[in-house]
Amino acid sequence: MSHHIEEMKAAHRLLAEFTYERYPVQRGYTNRTLYINLSDSTIASKPVSEEMKEKFTGGKGFGLWLLWHGIRDTTKWNDPENEIIISAGPIGGITTYPGTGKSLVVSLSPLTDSVMDCNVGGYFGPYLKFAGWDALEIQGKAEKDVIIFIDGDTGRITIEEAPLEPVDTHLLTDILVQMYGGDDHHARRAISTVTAGSGAEHTRFGCLNFSWYDLRRRAARVKQAGRGGIGTVFRDKRIKALVVKFSDLKADSNGPADLARLQRVGTKMHKEIHDYDDQQCGMRRHGTAYLVGIMNDYDLLPVHNFRYGSHPDGHKIDVRVWDARFTQGVPDGCWYGCTLSCSHAVDGFTLRTGPYKGQKVIVDGPEYENAAGLGANCGIFDPDYILEANFYCDTYALDTISIGTSIAFAMECYEMGIIDKRATGGLDLRFGNAEAAIEVIHQMGRGEGFGTIIGQGVRRMKKIFVEQYGADPKILQDIGMEAKGLEFSQYMPKESLAQQAGYGMASKGPQHDEAWLIFMDMVNNQIPTMEDKAEALHYFPIWRTWFGLCGLCKLPWNDIVPPDNALTDEPTKIPEHVRNYVEIFSAVTGRQVTSEDLLLMSERVYNFQRVFNLRMGFGTREHDKIPYRAQGPVTVEEYESRAERYDKQLKALGYDVEKMSTPEKVAALRAYREKQYEELMDAVYARRGWTRNGVPKVETLQRLGIDYPDVVEIVRRAGG
Amino acid sequence: MKILATRPERCTGCGACEIECARTWFKVDDKEKSRIRIFPPAKEGQPFRIVVCNQNGACIDVCPTVALKRAKNGVVQLNKSLCVGCLSCVGFCPNQAMFYHPDYTEPFKCVACGKCVEVCPEDALYIAEVAEAPASVTDTWLQKEAI
Amino acid sequence: MTVVAGQSPTIVVNGTRELPWTQGMTVRDVLRLCNFTYSLIIVTVNGRIVPKEEFDTFPVPPEAEVRVIHLIAGG
Repeated sequence: MSHHIEEMKAAHRLLAEFTYERYPVQRGYTNRTLYINLSDSTIASKPVSEEMKEKFTGGKGFGLWLLWHGIRDTTKWNDPENEIIISAGPIGGITTYPGTGKSLVVSLSPLTDSVMDCNVGGYFGPYLKFAGWDALEIQGKAEKDVIIFIDGDTGRITIEEAPLEPVDTHLLTDILVQMYGGDDHHARRAISTVTAGSGAEHTRFGCLNFSWYDLRRRAARVKQAGRGGIGTVFRDKRIKALVVKFSDLKADSNGPADLARLQRVGTKMHKEIHDYDDQQCGMRRHGTAYLVGIMNDYDLLPVHNFRYGSHPDGHKIDVRVWDARFTQGVPDGCWYGCTLSCSHAVDGFTLRTGPYKGQKVIVDGPEYENAAGLGANCGIFDPDYILEANFYCDTYALDTISIGTSIAFAMECYEMGIIDKRATGGLDLRFGNAEAAIEVIHQMGRGEGFGTIIGQGVRRMKKIFVEQYGADPKILQDIGMEAKGLEFSQYMPKESLAQQAGYGMASKGPQHDEAWLIFMDMVNNQIPTMEDKAEALHYFPIWRTWFGLCGLCKLPWNDIVPPDNALTDEPTKIPEHVRNYVEIFSAVTGRQVTSEDLLLMSERVYNFQRVFNLRMGFGTREHDKIPYRAQGPVTVEEYESRAERYDKQLKALGYDVEKMSTPEKVAALRAYREKQYEELMDAVYARRGWTRNGVPKVETLQRLGIDYPDVVEIVRRAGG
Repeated sequence: MKILATRPERCTGCGACEIECARTWFKVDDKEKSRIRIFPPAKEGQPFRIVVCNQNGACIDVCPTVALKRAKNGVVQLNKSLCVGCLSCVGFCPNQAMFYHPDYTEPFKCVACGKCVEVCPEDALYIAEVAEAPASVTDTWLQKEAI
Repeated sequence: MTVVAGQSPTIVVNGTRELPWTQGMTVRDVLRLCNFTYSLIIVTVNGRIVPKEEFDTFPVPPEAEVRVIHLIAGG
C-alpha cells in the first residue's frame, strides 16, 4: 500500500462497529438483511420472512418491499428517511451460468420523485449476500463523508468517516481496492466497491459505479447503476463509498439445493455461447456497441434529439471503429462465469480535457447507449469525443443515458433560439459541437455554469426555460424526451406504437429494460392488432421483471439463441432459455417451479411497483403519456425528411395528401397517432387487470396475493 | 513440450485408462471422474473416440480468475484455490476435454502424467513431444504487467 | 399466387412491404434490398424456413411471401 493511501486510511474515524456471525447461504438466501442508519450510526440485522421470499422473491422485490416500509407517502428523495437498497436476489452469485451477478438498486429518485430501480453488474451484490446479507438497506444522512465497510471474512461492519479520499470513481475505486484488499491481486478481487463522483453531487442524474476486478489488466473496473439519479441520493447521504470483502468464493457459495443441475445447464449454455455467439451478436467480440450501425440501418438510432433515426455519419461510430479500439483481446464478464462477456475497454486512452487531462486511463465501453446518447443524439460522430465523454461520465458518476438525452434537448433548444449564449454562459451549444458538450460535462463535475442546469434533467429544464426565457411550454413538451421525469433511453420509437407504450408505460420511466418491441412490431409485423401489442406489453415486461428479482442479466436470454430456436412455437420468447431459467431457479432454491411460476413472481412485483408509484402521487394514465417527439414528426422538417413513409400512412387512412400542406399533414398524422396510443393504453390496462385509469384492480391484487390492507387502501382511493 | 497423444485406431474401448486415471487423481474406480474419456464409435467401422486434452490452452483465456496457466513443462494446470467453479472452460474447450463432476466444485483435466499410457494394453496412448504452444493472450497481458 | 401477364411481379416482406421481383432473386437479395443488416433473424419463404447457409442461393419466386423475423423481442 502506498504512503498516500496509508495516510488516507489513518484519517478514517470509526463511527460505528457491528460484529456478526456469518452463516452459509442456504438455497440462495441468508434470510437476513442489513439495516444501516447514517443519521444515528445504527447498524442492525433484520430477519427475512418466508412471506417476503414467497411474495417478493428478492432483488428488486426486496428493495421495493423494504423501501415501502421505510418511508412515508410524503418522503422526498433528499429526506433522511429515503433509502438506498441493494440486493442480489436468490440466484445472484452463482458462478455456473452466464449473467448471474447482478445487483438491484432501489431508491426514491431525484428525477421522478417516485420509486426507481436499477440493474447493475460488478461483484457487490453477490459478495454482500455471501458476506451474510440478502439486502443492504441504508437510511439517514451522515454529517460528513463516510465509507461503509462490510467485511464478510471476519463478520464485521464499520461506518468510518473518510475525509481524504477523492470522490471521483476512477481514483476512489483504485484507492479502496488497495486499501481494503492489500497488494495481492487475488486478494483485491475479494473487494467490491460502490462509489459515485463529483457529478452526482451537482446534478439529478448521478449514477452508482459497482466495481469488479480485472485480473489481466490488474485493475478495478466498474459497471453503472445508471438510471434515475440514485448516485445523487448516495452523495446526498454523504456516502463516499460502500466496500464489501468476501474471499472464499466457490461454485457452491450460494448454497444451491442441487449443484449438479446447475453445472449441467451452465456447461450447456457456455458451449452454446462458444459455438454461436460469433455468428450471432458477437457480444464477446464487441459487446452492445455492435448495435450502433444496426440501429442506424433501421432508422432507429436517435439523431439530433430524436428528430431522426439515422445519419450519414453513423458509420463513424459503428462497430468497426470500436472493434479497432478495444484492446484486451480477451472478453470480460462483469461477474464470474459470464461467458457472454459484453464488457469491453479501451486501454491507454489519453484524456485531452478536464481535471485529469494528460492521464492515460482505461475507458470502460462504450456501450451502445453511450455511443448513441453522447454521440449520435447530440450529432457528434467523433469516437475520441465519445470515449472522453464516456470516461468522464463514469468517473463523475453521471448517467450516460440521461445526460445524452438532456444535452441533446438543450442543443435543440439552442438551435431553435429558445435559449442563447447568455443562457448557456457563452457555450455554442449547437448539434455536433463536441467541445461544448465536453465542457458541459466538466461543469457538472465542478458544479458550475449551464452544465448544472442541464444536470437538472429535461423535465426541470423545460420549467426553467419557460420561466426564465419565456419559452413556449407546448413545444418544449413536444420535444423534451422525458416521461415521468426520466429521460428516454436511446432507441427511436416513432415508428413502433408498441415501443412507444413500452417506453411510456414502464414503471420507472422510459427505459427499454421492460419492453423492446421495435423489431417485433415495426420490422417483423408480428403484433399487428391492439390485442397483439397489449399481449406483448403484458408478457415481456413481466418476464423481464423476473431477471431483476433474481439478480440476473437479460443478455443471455435473447442476445444468444439456440440453433433450433427458429423451429420452436414462440421463437421470440426463446423457449429453451426460459427452460434453463426454470432449471436454475429450481436448482438453487429447491422449489420445483414452472415457467408460469416465474411469471407469477414477476407479476406480483410489477403490480406492487405500480401501486408504489400511486402511493407517491403518480402511477395513473396521465403519467404514462409521452412527448409527441416519441410518437411522430413534431416539425415540418421532420415530416419532410421521411415524407414518403408518413404520406403512405395518411393515404392508407384515406387522406388525399396531394391536396394537403405539410403542416396539415403533420397535424393529421399527429391526431391519428395520439389516438392510437390512447387505444393501446386501454388495451394494455385491460390485459394487465388495471382500470382505464391505469390502476391495478383490487381483484388483480387478490389474484396475485398482494392484497395487503395498506396496498388495497391506496388502490381503492385511486378507484381500483 | 509433452502431451498425451492417441492412436484411436488401436483403441478397443476397454476403459483401463479411465479407471487408472480416476484412481490416480481421485482414488476411486469411477470413470466419470477420469480426465480421459473413451466414447464408442459413432458408426460401425469407425474407431473409438478418445477425448483428452492436447494442451492447446484455449481455456486459459476464458478463465475469469486466471486459475488456468501453462506450467513450465507446457502442460495447462488448474490452480484449484483460485478456481470459482464457473465451468466456462468446460463449455469453451474446443475438444470438450475439460471435465467436471458434481462431487467437486472445480473441473479437472489431463496433465499428461502418463499413468494411462502404462495401462493401455493396445498401445493406443503415448506421450508425445510437440512444439511449444504460442503464448496465450492472458500470458501476454501478465508479462506486460510484470514489466 | 400466379403471375398476371402484363404486370411486373412483386414479393411481399413481413406482410406489408412490397418489393419488385427480379429474375434470379435470392434471400440475400431481399435482405439487401430491405437493408436488413441484423444477424439474429429467421427467414421463411412461403412458409418454409431457409437455413442461414442457404441465404446466398435460396431462390425467391415471384409473388413470394417472405418473412424476416428479427429475434430481439421484448428487449
